[in-house]
Amino acid sequence: MEIPFVVQPRKDTGLFNSKIAIWLFLASEVMLFGGFFSAYVFLRLGADYPWPERTLPVLPGLINTFILIGSSVTVVFAWASLKLGHWGRFKIFMGITVACAAIFMVFKGIEYNVKFHHQGVRLKDYTVIEGHLGYEKENGKPVLNHHGKQIEENQILIETSGLTYNTVRFHKPWIEEALTQAKHRGSKILLKEDVSAVTKPGQPAETIAKAGEELSGALLERVKTAHLAARAHNGKLRTSALRQEWKEAKAANPGKRDWQISSGVNIDTAALAPQLLTEIPSVAFKVDPPSRFDFKPRDIKHGETQSRLRDDTTVEGKLLDSPMVFHYVDAIDFRHLAMIAVKKGVDPITAIENSWLIKNDEAAREAWEWNKLQTARLEKELLEQYGVDEKTGKPKREPTAKERYRIGWKDLVAKADGVNRDQQKVTIKEEFMGPDYQGREAKHTFPHLSVPRNEIRFASKFTPAWNTYYAIYFTVTALHGLHVIGGALVLAYYLFFGRKMYETNPEWLTNRVEVGGLFWHFVDLVWIFAFPIFYLM
Amino acid sequence: MADTPEAVRKSIRTYLFVGAVLFVGTVLTVLVATVPALDVGHHGFDVWDAILGLAIASTKAALVAFIFMHLNHEKKAVYWIFGSGLVFVIALFALFALAKYDPIFDNFFYDPTGTTVKPMAL
Repeated sequence: MEIPFVVQPRKDTGLFNSKIAIWLFLASEVMLFGGFFSAYVFLRLGADYPWPERTLPVLPGLINTFILIGSSVTVVFAWASLKLGHWGRFKIFMGITVACAAIFMVFKGIEYNVKFHHQGVRLKDYTVIEGHLGYEKENGKPVLNHHGKQIEENQILIETSGLTYNTVRFHKPWIEEALTQAKHRGSKILLKEDVSAVTKPGQPAETIAKAGEELSGALLERVKTAHLAARAHNGKLRTSALRQEWKEAKAANPGKRDWQISSGVNIDTAALAPQLLTEIPSVAFKVDPPSRFDFKPRDIKHGETQSRLRDDTTVEGKLLDSPMVFHYVDAIDFRHLAMIAVKKGVDPITAIENSWLIKNDEAAREAWEWNKLQTARLEKELLEQYGVDEKTGKPKREPTAKERYRIGWKDLVAKADGVNRDQQKVTIKEEFMGPDYQGREAKHTFPHLSVPRNEIRFASKFTPAWNTYYAIYFTVTALHGLHVIGGALVLAYYLFFGRKMYETNPEWLTNRVEVGGLFWHFVDLVWIFAFPIFYLM
Repeated sequence: MADTPEAVRKSIRTYLFVGAVLFVGTVLTVLVATVPALDVGHHGFDVWDAILGLAIASTKAALVAFIFMHLNHEKKAVYWIFGSGLVFVIALFALFALAKYDPIFDNFFYDPTGTTVKPMAL
């Protein structure tokens, strides 16, 4: 079958069909991205915390912009080459375009990866600390979890004496983890009491598991099977008994409505009891001898003597000190604290100097004093350079809240190097990957810090959960990234599989490339807005 | 399609020129945002930086749309289709002006005894 209007324009639209189609699609895309950009404006205007303006490193974004713009130029040239009948040139330009898309995604991946490894914590007093966590170590060697991975020093530690599993909801990987930890500490997790249950109606109870049996997924599965079978059986029995009761009640009370007789309809539980099977909703284990277990903060709701995991496992035992340990602090941000202080009518500087961090950490105090000097110097410079506004009597230009209250990693580097804030030079690699911690270790550039658990208000990696800025940043850039991948796949298809069509119907291929190119320009267009909005504003 | 091989050959210089302008525009956006001497408005980011940044971005976007996407010489149908999409987006942004009148930004909404009404700072 021949597809109409792939080369010849339709009379009514004056265009070949795929062009109409791509413009319809682009119109819907404009509305899609328009929706997200307007969401950004709303989130920013409605933010109840200082918007993290100009926090992303500019260089990776800038290079990615160059790459996308470059690829937009080459895709036009690829189309023009086909139009002029140069297959060879088309291949070169299209090849560059697809390669640019790949490089763009690699850089995006690096950016995301760096963020996903960056820890942020908001303290009770709204001080924000950013940096990298340390790893649990014993005798200088890292402790590994059941995946064989290092464990971050951000765990809820419990001197565990007992674990009670929910037989339906238990999460197998956490059982593996508990067993790994018990083995590591020389403890055993053993069944507290015999689990016996009636598994056949009217028969005596039989033992499913014996006290002292070690915890395992298989054991819990066994109990789960018995429990679910019992629940189904009992449910069926109760339902049919209730049906019978209703039947009898209706027969005994003709003409009455259901609601009038419902209070008298009850199952005779005593008569039913011998037919029922035993349900085992939970199984208790003891940890012998009791030992320290650690749990990820997001998996546990911790209490002083009893805690609960997300899979409904109850953890018996005393909560130990569970600090979050920053191996390297690379930013201290008092902007939120200052904002709250101003709202309350308190002097922000006083509020900062009374904060937990300044009172408890020598390095943070030093950094803060240094930052105050830097701000004062900047204030003086701006005053000298731009003077005072005659109407208001205030200086025309003043340091921003970010300069006053945020001590970022470049500031910490400047401090360690003994230079002023604006004279600090960092390497291109650092612009991409963040500070070179190891290289700067000798000068103790980045302080170590242990934050007690009860000082923490909220903690997260730099993921969409951290704040609304990162939420919208990840949403828009990820959606854009998917478009880059989709567009590149289509263009790559023309590049690698277009030869045959070029030989039989070159105009059709040219039109296809034009349509693919239109989409590619749109992807570039979105980035043209996304780059300044997310990186520079 | 009106693009004959001759027209395309002629346009190539335009494409190169636009590409160069886009690169320059990008560098310019970064410079006005990072170099203190080129900072417009107050020190640091403020509304003037936002306006300037978005103006440069819009110019770049317009160049891409009109030259690379050939919107400078298209058939009517394309303008209608794409234009209607744009209208919805513009309407969406225009709703911000209305958001100002949303009662949740009214202090009375939270504090019935409050006496001052502060509209949302836009």
